Amino acid sequence: MTTNRSRWVFIILALIAGVGIGLAYGWVFDPVDFFDLTPDTLRTDYKADYVLMTAEAYRVEQDPGLAARRLAIFGTQSPAAIAAEGLDYARANGFSDADVTLMQELVTALQAWSGIR
Amino acid sequence: MKRIPWDIVLALLAGLGLGLVYSWMISPPRIVDAEPVALRADFKDQYRSAVAAAYNATGNRPRARARLSLLGDADPVEALNAQAQRMLASSAGGVSGEQFGHADQVAALALALDDDPDHALISTPTAEIINNAGNISTATSPPPPPDVPIALTETPEIIETQSTIIVGAVTPRPTRTSVPTLGAPFALTGQESLCDSNLPDGLLQVLVLNSNRRQLAGVEVVVTWDGGKEQFFTGLKTELGNGYADYIMTPEVTYAIQLARGSDVALGIVAPTCQTSSGETFFGGIKLTFQQP
Repeated sequence: MTTNRSRWVFIILALIAGVGIGLAYGWVFDPVDFFDLTPDTLRTDYKADYVLMTAEAYRVEQDPGLAARRLAIFGTQSPAAIAAEGLDYARANGFSDADVTLMQELVTALQAWSGIR
Repeated sequence: MKRIPWDIVLALLAGLGLGLVYSWMISPPRIVDAEPVALRADFKDQYRSAVAAAYNATGNRPRARARLSLLGDADPVEALNAQAQRMLASSAGGVSGEQFGHADQVAALALALDDDPDHALISTPTAEIINNAGNISTATSPPPPPDVPIALTETPEIIETQSTIIVGAVTPRPTRTSVPTLGAPFALTGQESLCDSNLPDGLLQVLVLNSNRRQLAGVEVVVTWDGGKEQFFTGLKTELGNGYADYIMTPEVTYAIQLARGSDVALGIVAPTCQTSSGETFFGGIKLTFQQP
């Protein structure tokens, strides 16, 4: 009886160990390769560079609606908030003054544009 | 001899299988910190459009090149040309008139990169990456993220003629160049009459090439005649070539054809009168070739 019970304990322990090994392998050692991702999954520095691109274009185009549409690919946040996040990153990571100024202009324009809408 | 505990081995394998199913299929790790190369194709198009718009505003070709390399296209120029065609096609279908302007920016960036003598560097830019700790490494692919200071070891249109190492945490903004130029005006290098009864009557065919004889998509062609004017774009019939465009001329009307970006003007273009072998007459076509010198 006791031998039978300890046998079951070993089986359950082996099952749990197997699950643990499987999870570790699938999450850490060989996670799923992703493709066809959406822009909201981009690393923060890439997002900030995208905001900078939008700001560079905005400087010439002066069209906040177009800039907002460009930033809308990042999802549910407002364009002004997305631009502000990019600006925060730029300030914290030593972007050049010229780039920060461009992004600041974009943030200001989008905040005003959001207010008008 | 000790017996193998098959029940325990089977339990271990079953657990392993369950763990893999859960971690790979049911709950894969949350995606964060992705790179642009992993974006879906339509988002890559938007990314390219943003790069082109920024280039259109700043004229900063090295920066545009570095940004495009993040998308991992085998040939960024081809990718830009193909995208310009798709955008023009969707605009022509009435999806969005705004895309005409964006397509022009994308095509202009393709043209600028194609004219770049360091075009070969586009897909695998070599850059020295200097991190804040002062370590230096050389990378060919993938390129550095935008927040890492880079020093491009190339000298296109930059005043400096040797490698520059930028120390400190600044973004890759090599130099601000003046207003972007689209290259020299196109020259009319070919004009021939075509008498082919299999082609539509009065077919005007236009072929636009750059200085490397590569066909250019998204180039606006302007046709004017007494009392009228029309525009059309190259690249809408990809099966005939990226730089191909056509137009049906009205018989006995004289046209002038030029490219909107600046080119020689083909004057006095009239559909020629041709004859079949059986003696029937029909209106033939004209083929014009524009090329950058």
